[in-house]
Amino acid sequence: MDVVILVVVGALVAGVVGLAQRWHAPIRPTVEIDLSPRALPGYTLLSLSRGFAAYLLSLVFTLVYGTIAAHGRRAEKVLVPLLDIGQGIPVLGFLPGLVLGMVALFPRTNVGLELACIVMIFTGQVWNMTFSYIASLRSIPSELHEVARIHRFSFWKRFRTVELSSSVIGLVWNSMMSMAGGWFFLTVNEAFTLGDRDFRLPGVGSYMAVAIEKGDRSAMAWAVVAMTVMIVAVDQLLWRPLVAWSQRFRAAEVSGEREARSWVLDLVRRSSLLRRLRLRRRRLAKTPAPSAAAPPETAPGSDDAGAGFRALLLAVAGAAAALAAGLGAWKLVRLLSSVRAHDWLVLAAALSATFVRAFGALALSVAWALPVGILVGRSPAWSRRLQPIVQIVASFPAPMLFPLVTGGLLALRVPFSVVAAVLMLLGAQWYVLFNVLAGASAVPPDLVEATDVYGVAGGARWRTLFLPAVFPFLVTGLITAAGGAWNASIVAETLVMNGRTLETFGLGSLITKATREANFPLLAAGVLTMSLALVLINRLVWRRLSRLAETKYALNR
Amino acid sequence: MSAKPAPVPSPPIAAARGVDKVFADEGGRERVILKGVDFEVRPNEVVAVLGPSGCGKSTLLRILIGLISPTSGRVEQHGEPLVGIHPGAAVVFQNFALFPWLTVEENVRVGLAGRAANAGEADARVRAALAAVGLSGHARAFPKEVSGGMKQRVGIARALVGRPELLCMDEPFSALDVLTAELLRTEVYRLFTERQTGLSSVLLITHLIEEAVFLGDRIIVMGANPGTVRKEIVNSLPHPREYRHPEFVRMVGRIHDVVTRVHLPEEEAVSAPAHGRRAETPLIPLPPARMGEILGLLEILADNGGSLDLFAVDTITEYDFGRTLTVVKAAELLDLVDTPKNDVILTELGRKVVAAPYDEKIPLLRPQILSLGTFCLVVRELARDPDTPMPAEAVKDILAASLPHVSASELFETVVNWGRAIQLFEYDAATDQLALFSGREDAAEA
Repeated sequence: MDVVILVVVGALVAGVVGLAQRWHAPIRPTVEIDLSPRALPGYTLLSLSRGFAAYLLSLVFTLVYGTIAAHGRRAEKVLVPLLDIGQGIPVLGFLPGLVLGMVALFPRTNVGLELACIVMIFTGQVWNMTFSYIASLRSIPSELHEVARIHRFSFWKRFRTVELSSSVIGLVWNSMMSMAGGWFFLTVNEAFTLGDRDFRLPGVGSYMAVAIEKGDRSAMAWAVVAMTVMIVAVDQLLWRPLVAWSQRFRAAEVSGEREARSWVLDLVRRSSLLRRLRLRRRRLAKTPAPSAAAPPETAPGSDDAGAGFRALLLAVAGAAAALAAGLGAWKLVRLLSSVRAHDWLVLAAALSATFVRAFGALALSVAWALPVGILVGRSPAWSRRLQPIVQIVASFPAPMLFPLVTGGLLALRVPFSVVAAVLMLLGAQWYVLFNVLAGASAVPPDLVEATDVYGVAGGARWRTLFLPAVFPFLVTGLITAAGGAWNASIVAETLVMNGRTLETFGLGSLITKATREANFPLLAAGVLTMSLALVLINRLVWRRLSRLAETKYALNR
Repeated sequence: MSAKPAPVPSPPIAAARGVDKVFADEGGRERVILKGVDFEVRPNEVVAVLGPSGCGKSTLLRILIGLISPTSGRVEQHGEPLVGIHPGAAVVFQNFALFPWLTVEENVRVGLAGRAANAGEADARVRAALAAVGLSGHARAFPKEVSGGMKQRVGIARALVGRPELLCMDEPFSALDVLTAELLRTEVYRLFTERQTGLSSVLLITHLIEEAVFLGDRIIVMGANPGTVRKEIVNSLPHPREYRHPEFVRMVGRIHDVVTRVHLPEEEAVSAPAHGRRAETPLIPLPPARMGEILGLLEILADNGGSLDLFAVDTITEYDFGRTLTVVKAAELLDLVDTPKNDVILTELGRKVVAAPYDEKIPLLRPQILSLGTFCLVVRELARDPDTPMPAEAVKDILAASLPHVSASELFETVVNWGRAIQLFEYDAATDQLALFSGREDAAEA
């Protein structure tokens, strides 16, 4: 399994770097950003369209990939682990390579750049959606499948009435999360520059970047307003109605029973849903389907040919994929052979620097978000007041705020190496807060009463009840936050401000630098190092914590 | 325990004096849970509080020991006003309330918080408590590894380890299967009667009459909507008590009668013509029974010659007695049954309904339901603009305004359930809106 991961990650790196190598200074029109507020609605709409284009791509990918993975037992064994890899690697590490490569493909227009942007957002959105879909498909009661077979549903009818209907709720929740995460990648992409090369796209992210470059404070404020309006509008006009609509697909509908609308419950539901998905996903990823070992079901003769054809197709596809992966890996090995031993040492040092920053950011997040989350989550009144704010702030793309925060901290004489960690914290902390809040409001009231009755108070109460009770939520939040922090390292360790390039030693800045200097072996080595480090951390830290959370600290008694 | 203490005027361990409790429901409407409750737990007694679900008996327990404070009225411990949590109380919770991340032993130790003199004494007391409930072999297990019965034993050990003077048990056996519950009940009974650890009194909350008679020295019958103390019965049956003993059976029967009278008062049986339209009844809370249950009751009666003793109905349904009463009450409200004394008898209309196929039941039930004040109220509101559905919250507000003591959500559910059964309403759970049934005329003709 680990060998497969290695080969696939290697092939990915090689592929993207290979694309980038074809880059020859293109004759692409550069974009001038108009800073007048009147231009902003147009830019915002452009950004919004990119977000939705990427989301549609994610949705189509999810439905196709999920359907294939859930229907073919053999396909599942390959496709699910692939997903796990996809979501484990730092997608932003591929950004410079991807941008260069796509621009090389479309040298005369911005199409390549737009495509790169959409693909980047897609890679930030797609994983949890697909996991949710596969998990839903796997949990469809077999009776429903049997009904579909008895009544001879066509493929499309089965897809619509059985499969899609059963997964709508999970898909809607995850779409909401994905869309919020997508804004992060959108703003980074739109404002992407590499040294003196300008890869900006017209949009609210680039508007903000230019405003900061020129020190135009009112334009910065306008950009923040536009982004906020966009997030709130999408939330209110699209997701809220969709969520309400999706409730009709709830499996256990009790007639006349009122659907609780309290946000606390929503929050809990969302979070426990996440937890469940995570749990199921882990099971999906780790153990092959139990029925895989069972003898293939005997289908009537007419289906036999189809099954045979499908098996053949699958075999061919598998072989092609293996070949591509093998080629990519071989290419990567050749590429890496030109990386000097000294550079490997530098990479290792850079990895540790970024590691320290990422975990420092996580520690800081926990230090403030854990107590605050518990205190606020314990009070329904406060939770109700703070929830809408937290939700908006959490989906606000942190990179838009990087220059503001950096400016402020540098003025306070904080070294940039520390500032970079704070920038990584900026996006990550909300996941921790959000999950802890949900956990704290889900503490069973009878346990609280038990501590009251038996006089377990103060610190003892936190140790006995609150901290263990929110632990599973904390782990979920930390895993998401860690992913965010590593991704952010690539944009946080190198920052262009007022024409000045700020840089601090780390894996993120090293990757950016390698791209800028067209040092492709080093770029490949950097992205590979980060990917492998994340896979390793996932194995050694997060999996273990998750298992602990799912066993010892699970509240379902 | 069989010897009653001499009437020394010692103050009650815990007492509620004229206690009211008002909660706001999820729509912000106020609901009176307890009204004017006077209640006390005296030294050296087992007092059982008996009432249907939703009568506020668990709320009363929580008020008595200071977990929640009353809206008005006084709470006392040993004659003094109660401040904070009652110092001598321990609670056994309905759903155990064990900490899943602590071992059985650590869970029991929680009950000691700040009460043991030193570590050695604490260890000894935890071991003794575990032994007392037969859990010595499970000390290092986690709660999720042991059965429901074992979990509740842990809950009992945790309560006893602190040597409380007042042990409160909130429906302690209702989350267990019948056999486990019976075993544990007998063991708890033994613990009570031995009372070695300084335990003075026990407060038991239950909805089961047999349980109250088996364990209680004094039985308090509560009525619902709002929760009030309706009747106090001294149970002086000698120990050990036996379920089949004639005295025991007689006591259970007596309490059945009391409960029936509390929930099914004679004067409420509206004498009305058994068929045809009735005058609009005043606004009364609908018993929260589903139409399916009401029709099921009619079937049971029809299968038994049209008449059954109330307790026979209770035995057949295997509901708890309060639930059975609710269904009977609902059927009586619709003139489908009569309840002279403790009998339940099918009315002529009831017989017709049983005999009719389902689509013909609707026109029979429709006039009965439409004559209910509650339905008149809702239909009138909806008819103001028949094409526009009404948000459930608005309907609940209207219901709550006219029936303040009833849970508006529960009443709404019943209204929707009955209204859907006779094709009067359409309720969209996704949008949470209620509308008049659009194909109503056709159905009425059928």
